[in-house]
Amino acid sequence: MYSVATVTAAAAGMTGSLGNVGYGLAAIGAGIGIGLVVSKTIESIARQPELASRLQVTMWIGIAFTEALALIALATPFIFGK
Amino acid sequence: MFDDVKSVMTRVLSFGLFLVLGISLVGSIVGFLVAGVSGICAALAGGSAVFIFTGMTALSILIGSRLPLAGFVGAVLGGWLVKMVLFLIMFTLLDGAPWLTIEARPVVFFTIVAAVVGGLILDTLIVSKARFPVIPTKS
Repeated sequence: MYSVATVTAAAAGMTGSLGNVGYGLAAIGAGIGIGLVVSKTIESIARQPELASRLQVTMWIGIAFTEALALIALATPFIFGK
Repeated sequence: MFDDVKSVMTRVLSFGLFLVLGISLVGSIVGFLVAGVSGICAALAGGSAVFIFTGMTALSILIGSRLPLAGFVGAVLGGWLVKMVLFLIMFTLLDGAPWLTIEARPVVFFTIVAAVVGGLILDTLIVSKARFPVIPTKS
């Protein structure tokens, strides 16, 4: 087990761009969200192919809301960056 | 008449363009008052970024809807992946742009947030007003 002091010391010794870590964190949620939306739409279209048109448009709304979070996260360096 | 994917996405793209133009105009005025000419460029950059970002999703669904299910999923998810890479490059270039002053940086962010939120409201309204047949039609 590592103590808190050890972890803090290791974190203080880290070098590089924190922006990369931030992008990774921002992409996790959006990636999971898009995956869930698309997988459920495929499942629904497989069950009821006649509703494909309606389901595709509904899926798009889900994607729009999910990707909005990613887009805002990508833009945050413009207010927090410098 | 009933709607289909093509009519809804065409409506989303055309109304979305007008919305982004309006928000970019307001952003440019505010940006000019806050940061001068750099503020105008910042608002236009933010507005165009949102239109490309959200427009590519609508376009990928429009193209994907003409393909079989696997092609549809590939177009939507592949388009999303390409879009994220493009945006990383675009925001990196914008972040290091010499004309983007420190006062103009929040203008980019707030234009993006306003355009994204406005776009989501518009999209929800368009989709909620669309009429889809429950049974397949020939039209």
